[in-house]
Amino acid sequence: MTDGGGREVRPGDRADSRSRRRRPGADGPLRVGVVGAGFIGETHVAAWAAEGIRAVIHDVDADRAAALAGRHGARVAGSLDELFGGVDVVDVCTPTDLHADVAIAAVRAGRHVICEKPMARTLADAGAMLAAARDAGVRLFVAHVVRFFPEYVAARQAVLDGAIGEPGVLRFTRASFRPRQPAGHWFFDHARSGGIVLDLMVHDLDYARWVAGDVVAVHCRSASVAQPDAGVDHAVAILTHRSGAISHVSASWGYAPPTFVTSFEIAGSHGLIEHSSTTAAPVMASLLAGAAGGGLTAMADTSLAGDPFRLELAEFAGAIRDGTEARIGPADGLEALRIALAADESARTGAVVRLARVVE
Amino acid sequence: MSVPVEARQAVRIGLLSAEHVHAPTYLSLLASMPGARLVGVWDEDQGRAAAAAAPVSTRAFDDVDELLEQVDGVVIASANSRHRRLVEVAATAGVDVLCEKPLATTVDDARAIVDACDRAGVRLMTAFPTRWNPAARALESAVRSGALGAPVFLEGVNTGTMPDIHAAWFVDPARSGGGAVTDHVVHLADLFRWILRSEVVEVYAVANRILQERFAGVETGGLVSMRFASGVSATIDCSWSKPRSYPTWGGLSVQAVGTGGAFGIDAFRQHLAVYGTRETGISWPAWGPNADRGMLAEFLSVVRDDREPAVTGIDGLRAVEIVDAAYRSIAAGAPVPLRVGERAGVAPSGPADEGATTRRRADR
Repeated sequence: MTDGGGREVRPGDRADSRSRRRRPGADGPLRVGVVGAGFIGETHVAAWAAEGIRAVIHDVDADRAAALAGRHGARVAGSLDELFGGVDVVDVCTPTDLHADVAIAAVRAGRHVICEKPMARTLADAGAMLAAARDAGVRLFVAHVVRFFPEYVAARQAVLDGAIGEPGVLRFTRASFRPRQPAGHWFFDHARSGGIVLDLMVHDLDYARWVAGDVVAVHCRSASVAQPDAGVDHAVAILTHRSGAISHVSASWGYAPPTFVTSFEIAGSHGLIEHSSTTAAPVMASLLAGAAGGGLTAMADTSLAGDPFRLELAEFAGAIRDGTEARIGPADGLEALRIALAADESARTGAVVRLARVVE
Repeated sequence: MSVPVEARQAVRIGLLSAEHVHAPTYLSLLASMPGARLVGVWDEDQGRAAAAAAPVSTRAFDDVDELLEQVDGVVIASANSRHRRLVEVAATAGVDVLCEKPLATTVDDARAIVDACDRAGVRLMTAFPTRWNPAARALESAVRSGALGAPVFLEGVNTGTMPDIHAAWFVDPARSGGGAVTDHVVHLADLFRWILRSEVVEVYAVANRILQERFAGVETGGLVSMRFASGVSATIDCSWSKPRSYPTWGGLSVQAVGTGGAFGIDAFRQHLAVYGTRETGISWPAWGPNADRGMLAEFLSVVRDDREPAVTGIDGLRAVEIVDAAYRSIAAGAPVPLRVGERAGVAPSGPADEGATTRRRADR
């Protein structure tokens, strides 16, 4: 097997290749392949394009891949091997349960991997991804985009600056409507997506850990609001951090379109940080023509503060190019998943789930 | 002993103890409300009684029995741990009682308060003014009318500054019963019971002492998660998480979701933002209606008409049971079951307006 530059690639022979091998992007733009042409795949392709990178796209549905490529002037790869052969980085935007297979195949092909959140559907999968990337000596990033939203970045920085002292009680809300995917879509199949806890709540679970540190106990209650037969669409977790801080994390698809509210409150030993998207809109339009009803799924409007997806992918690309660390490492992705799976389990059993020590 | 109150006659009201921060508010409202005749204030600290009485030009009593002989009802605004003794004194005197929340610091005391009033045949009301807050009533109406569909999840936030700035006893567990969990769970717990017409069957809670500069006396941060018999889940953030610099004392809000969508309330949203000098800083003076007035009007009506109050002593007891369950969960690190009346030995009964029973007093 060769990589895109014709250099010999031997899986398992890359333990310290980060320092030895050519850094992708150092002498030319990073070559990026996006696997999965769904909602997040398109978001990433657009963000790559905005960064001046035309991604190569692969999807098991060739027509969908071609349509996405056409919208962004990108190319299509007919197979994963073809994709791996022509890129430095594989950006995994498949359904959650397929993250591990695609990511592990990519790292074994010697490709760096960016993986959409949640990292995987199971801890075993996430652990295998981590080990495979380590063995192959390639970089692995988990795309927890909330770490790149400017308001969340600013709040964490305020905490780091000591503005509120030690975080004590944190509260996060992410409230929206049910994604408008067709019935039978993988998104609504708990076995494949992990449902609202793994898909939506995981954003704030990761952020809570980023701000207040590792989590040692998780309790969660969940409910079916809009469609009782269609599974859980509202969940509230209570986390206990190792530091003693406690977090209240609420995620909902029970609101009416086009609602998308994110809010947080971080109370510390010496102060308080408040934020709500409901009071942070710098533009308030109420136009009679073309009244919007919300898109396929809700997205935060960040057009006036910089696109977090661009910031995220650019940081990962820079970390690969320069051999530097990004603000989120692969173990962080695994820990966020561990907390989410604990919340999902607690919601099911009613018990508190205690977490073992984090991976080293 | 009290005498029957004729219709349209002003209800004679007294205040027992001015220890609580709400005492001045109650006094100024009672002094101005039609239908009330404020007789006076008793406090075991005579200086405190005099200080509370002066602004509303009412009498400070040295002898509690002397005050009780001249009133039809009393408002009890003592430190939490003294509620039981003062309710028992009032009940023995045959005087109806509006008792500050939480009804007591222990389930046993709350039960004793309910029993004492039952035995004496006096009316007992718990001070949960949130039931008269227009936003809270709008939420209740949205559930009652079916606009919200079947309620599924209620998320409440009742956070504030640490109340030791008002009175030191708030952070002395011997007198308050506890910290943020004791102080701030009961309002929302009662509101949720009222909205849902259901009882809490399980409670999970966590707490810590990080906020308020790591104040060590009592818990300053708390999160409570509960499940109702009807299947609805709810959470309460009861933390003293507002720093001294916050423009107001705190607030109370609820986000409810049901099969009909979502419904949010912010009970104290109706305020101005006033930017003063560097010294006076920012303040949020409220301009919305005062729920305390509605609550006191209800008490006056209860005394005048000798009827069951909209918020009973049982409601106060239930809220104390939920607080007790929260502390048990904090100690256990796990959810704990709660069966209505189990720990208190009181027969199960719904919230006040569920039965809408009218009970006649034997001595009137």
